[in-house]
Amino acid sequence: MKQPLILEIKGNSLDDGPGIRSVVFFKGCPLACTWCHNPESKRMGVEIGFEARTCAGCDTCMGVCPEKAISRNNPFFIDRSTCTLCFQCVDTCPSGALSRIGSSMSVAEIVSQVIRDKPFYDTSGGGVTLSGGEPAMFMDFAGELLKALKAAGIHTLIETCGLFDPDRFNNCIYPWVDVIYYDIKLIDQDAHVRHCGVSNERILNNFKALNTCARDDEISIIPRTPLIPGITDTPENIKSIAEFLSSCGVSEARLLPYHPLWQEKNCKIGISPNTGNSPEMDQWLDNRVLENCRAIFEAAGISI
Amino acid sequence: MLLKTDAAGGTATGAKTGKTLTHLLVKTLLHTVAASFNFRPGLKKYLKTDQGWLDFTVGIRTESGSVETAICFKNGRVSVHKAIPADCEVTLIFASDAAVRKLLGATPTEQIFMLMKSHLRTVGNQSYMNLFFFFLSLLTHKKQKKLMAGEQTASLKALQKTAPEPKTALSDELRQRNTYRMQADAIDPGVKYLADPYLSDCSLSDFPRIKEFLEVHFTKTAEVCTERPKLVTDWYKKHGFETDAGGNSWIPELRQAHAFKYLMENRAPLIRKNDLIAGTTTSKEIGVVVYPDSHGTMIWGELLTVPHRSLNPYHISRQTVDLLHTEVFPYWARRNFKEWVRDQYGSPLCQAIDERFAVYFIWKQAALSHTIPDFPKIMSRGAAGIIEEIREQLVSGNISDTRQATLEAMILCLEGLIAYGNNLARQAGAEAAAETDPNRKAELEHLAEICRQVPAYPARNLDEAVNAMWVTWVGLHMENTNAGLSLGRLDHWLQPYFEADMASLESTDARQNYIRHAIEMVACFYMRCTDHLPLTPDLTNWYFGGSSSDQAITLGGVTPDGQDAVCDMTYIFLKVTEMLSIRDPNVNARFHPGINSDAYLKRLCEVNFITAATPSMHNDVAVMTSLEEFNYAPEDLRNWSATGCVEPTLSGRHIGHTNFQMMNMVAALEMALNNGRHPLMDWKLGPDTGLVAQEDFKHFDQFFNAFCRQFRFLIEQSIEYNNMLGRAHQYIRPTPLLSSLIGDCIEKGKDVTHGGARYNSSGAACIGLADVTDSLMVIKKLVFDEKQISFAELKKAVDENFENHPALYAMATKKVPLFGSGSDEAVEMAERIAKFAHDTYGSHTNYRGGKYTAGFWSMSNHVIYGTLSGALPSGKLAGKAFTPGLTPEPNASASLLDNIRDVARLNPRNMNNNIAFNVKVVPGGGDKREAIIDRMFSYVKTYFDLGGMQMQMNVVTSETLKDAMAHPENYRNLLVRISGYNAYFVTLNSDLQKELIERAEYGV
Repeated sequence: MKQPLILEIKGNSLDDGPGIRSVVFFKGCPLACTWCHNPESKRMGVEIGFEARTCAGCDTCMGVCPEKAISRNNPFFIDRSTCTLCFQCVDTCPSGALSRIGSSMSVAEIVSQVIRDKPFYDTSGGGVTLSGGEPAMFMDFAGELLKALKAAGIHTLIETCGLFDPDRFNNCIYPWVDVIYYDIKLIDQDAHVRHCGVSNERILNNFKALNTCARDDEISIIPRTPLIPGITDTPENIKSIAEFLSSCGVSEARLLPYHPLWQEKNCKIGISPNTGNSPEMDQWLDNRVLENCRAIFEAAGISI
Repeated sequence: MLLKTDAAGGTATGAKTGKTLTHLLVKTLLHTVAASFNFRPGLKKYLKTDQGWLDFTVGIRTESGSVETAICFKNGRVSVHKAIPADCEVTLIFASDAAVRKLLGATPTEQIFMLMKSHLRTVGNQSYMNLFFFFLSLLTHKKQKKLMAGEQTASLKALQKTAPEPKTALSDELRQRNTYRMQADAIDPGVKYLADPYLSDCSLSDFPRIKEFLEVHFTKTAEVCTERPKLVTDWYKKHGFETDAGGNSWIPELRQAHAFKYLMENRAPLIRKNDLIAGTTTSKEIGVVVYPDSHGTMIWGELLTVPHRSLNPYHISRQTVDLLHTEVFPYWARRNFKEWVRDQYGSPLCQAIDERFAVYFIWKQAALSHTIPDFPKIMSRGAAGIIEEIREQLVSGNISDTRQATLEAMILCLEGLIAYGNNLARQAGAEAAAETDPNRKAELEHLAEICRQVPAYPARNLDEAVNAMWVTWVGLHMENTNAGLSLGRLDHWLQPYFEADMASLESTDARQNYIRHAIEMVACFYMRCTDHLPLTPDLTNWYFGGSSSDQAITLGGVTPDGQDAVCDMTYIFLKVTEMLSIRDPNVNARFHPGINSDAYLKRLCEVNFITAATPSMHNDVAVMTSLEEFNYAPEDLRNWSATGCVEPTLSGRHIGHTNFQMMNMVAALEMALNNGRHPLMDWKLGPDTGLVAQEDFKHFDQFFNAFCRQFRFLIEQSIEYNNMLGRAHQYIRPTPLLSSLIGDCIEKGKDVTHGGARYNSSGAACIGLADVTDSLMVIKKLVFDEKQISFAELKKAVDENFENHPALYAMATKKVPLFGSGSDEAVEMAERIAKFAHDTYGSHTNYRGGKYTAGFWSMSNHVIYGTLSGALPSGKLAGKAFTPGLTPEPNASASLLDNIRDVARLNPRNMNNNIAFNVKVVPGGGDKREAIIDRMFSYVKTYFDLGGMQMQMNVVTSETLKDAMAHPENYRNLLVRISGYNAYFVTLNSDLQKELIERAEYGV
């Protein structure tokens, strides 16, 4: 069984499904979306992070780094080309500014952590959401986890980009989920390759198939579209998505307005923030754009 | 510095050091003061009162003796003396020459902080200190006013510089919350007549009368009222206080009763324009009640400046100033609780500690009023019926003189109450006769009829029940200080009257109208409760900022026989709470898991959302569990109500003085770190418990024990002072009227101050549980378990406020699991501290024969005690506020659920004076109301399911609070919950405002 690294387990989430939820973030994703709002979850392997605003400025780390890879002159603090990920600096950092990104957790460990909030799931109609990264990259593990959660009487939801082997998904994950949040980002295939690094053919096919069988099994599958300025929020793209969903018989979808907070996370893992030349990418999505997109969906008979 | 509690405040060593330039400066100034009073007739007249000359001496010196002089007022002459005489009334002792000079150039607020921060201390009679300040202000009040105005403009300017433009979208959002109103999706079994218990179809605009009252409430400045102090002082001057006209010692109960009756017979029977309820607590629209027998003389020094202070200003007329100064205060300079203790017990240490501000505050110096009277009794039997009951006791056989006097005193008080009711009836009749508007004429005639019936005789309907309650409430406040006297289960008690009235109505229309009338009646009652304010000296504005008199109402829960008590009136009170959104009465709601409905709890959440801060919610089961050890009768236990802030009192049967003190637990921690010395006061106060620098602590438990020993020392001192003040109440102000309305006093023939109530206890508010827990966790983990740092290093960093210790500061704040983070170990630590507090308080019996109890809430004192403490091992920096109540640190966890789970895990049995758990939640933009309420519901419901005791939510963002700080004009009614009580944010001192802004904020 491929063992994932877990990026974080976030409690009291109100935006990742119904009710009060815990979200388990998996590390690793098959897509490479340029706007990814969780950049630390893209790579599968462990990484080292540095958060400048948490740093106490004590310089303890510089004394312990065997590679002398840490310097205040480096805008990212750590020279990741020489860093061997020995994490000695992380272990001695008093403030937690230096951190290990991604930790190995067993299914039992995850369950024992999230089950503490079960009383809140019960009074709010909430539960646990698997997100990432892409949980479906770890079919067996995600399946085991979902199965264990269901056994504990917890409502489950998975957020997926849709790029997975459908048979494996049906065997491992599908039996144990109550809700599937399924991202549909771009309909144009070239654009999808350009912005997300891969073709969307499989994603769209998977959606069609899954949607049909979910409807029969009364499992809720809800497509979601992130509204990225100039990339996914164009009227053409939104219209195409609405048509596609309409043709699949979908009546409910979600729109996720863009926010620029991910850039800071990029800095943390040593990547320059790069939003291209689009000033809109530095701002929160204009509410009018959201309303236009909503109107397009609603015109196609899809409620938001 | 050595302990000095000698009455005269002379230098303890007797060794005189050389006098300094400051000494000369002070003497010169005092000579100027003396000359002014001796030669200016306009000033000299203030030396004389209707009882003769004001004779007293004030000593002024520094700790070292570098300054020492005294000013003596005697027979209308003022003189300056070289030495401080042994019989000097009061001495001001400055820490240093620099402190003397600083005080002379300080603004009024700076002067207050100098006193609180021990730059100077006082020894001796505080009334005379305040009188001396009054004399000084006669010379300097013009300059003081200018300084006060300067302070105000400077602070507002600074705020507006940071936020020049008001963010009206934020203030509008708050105002518009009440425009959307949910409907109930279920009806509770006790609701008989409301089709939609949430009463979503009515709003404030349906009640123009109430809207007008509300406008007055928010625009009218309160005024100091002399009615009560003048009338009672007149009576005592004529009839004597210690002895009667014949020279015989008074039985205090009887003396109080005669004075009370005189007061009630002679005070003006006022009916507010347009009101449906007759009677007022003062002769002003909004009056400040003066109780010179408790803390009244504390305002003496501020009589001329109180209208000009920035916080909580009052109007005060020149006549009032003169009357209080010449006729009232001199009579009471020694006849008040605090000074009685000083005289009787020779300035005890326990009092000296209280008067240094940083460690504890004993409320009995102002009031013993935290209780709930038996309103059902006055409503169902009337004062005349209770008099009958007392007479039966009187003739029941041979009873002692004291018992007889006590019972007669109760009768006199009830007669006073009846007399006031009769006067109101006459007044209503006269006003009705003169009234030209036919509607109002009818209302006044109705009022006259009501007042002819109540409070003398049983109430026959809701209108009479509410009026009976209010007139009794007025009487209780004429007898007892308006601090935390609480109202109890008004929904449950008024429901029978409402039901009977409704049953007599035939048509749906008549019933609909009557429901509106009931809402209006209750709203009038709420507004009546806002007609008085407590008297707060300016210092108190920093100690208890923004507090009114905290009249708690309690809704819901179960009936004495354990049935669901939620009823029509519960929802009517909630509707009024929602519409008015005012700070007082302080609304508390009981929720009984398994019995009370989800629809009720959701409504509590909706009202909390709309008002942003009220009601406070209690888990009935946890509160009752916390009281199990006292073996209260089950029907009395089920009849508990919140008192003052959050504390449980068994309604009508219990004197629990549930706020006998505010205790700063952090002081004990600081003293344990310093071998008994309190750093800010620089006073070796507590026992020797070991020196950190000498490595006296080899294990964590040794240090924990040191903390416990210091804490025990403070608890015992505070209890000693409380018991002394309790005896002062027995002598100065027993309360026969209240006693006649508290179960068993009549049967026992005993005043409540002597333990006449069926149940007795005294409750503490222990402050800083999260700060102490986290600090002990840091010491345990970093010093003892993980040995990452030495205790001495940590102590050094703490002493230096973590300056130049960034790594240590980071470790303390980031690497140790805190209370509220979901750590078992931190919860165990908090539990261990709470248990120690509970067991230690619980091992003591008070002067009324009841147990001491411990609670963990803080009113507003988590801010001032934070200001008066240094840095802590937890990383709290010097002068910063503690967390409110027992709320976890804002950075304990990113998830509110961890906070909720940890607080819920604490054992209620260790917290029998309740807790205050503050949560700040903010709705995300665009969320549906139902979704927001569902989430709030889920937090509270789960918290209660997990055993949590009490929870209170502020539903407002920090951004909004910041905008309100800079642009108060847009937020006059922005209600916030401090720790247990509500206040208007814009009336708070800036430290409290900042603390509210810095609280953790969670989306909802």
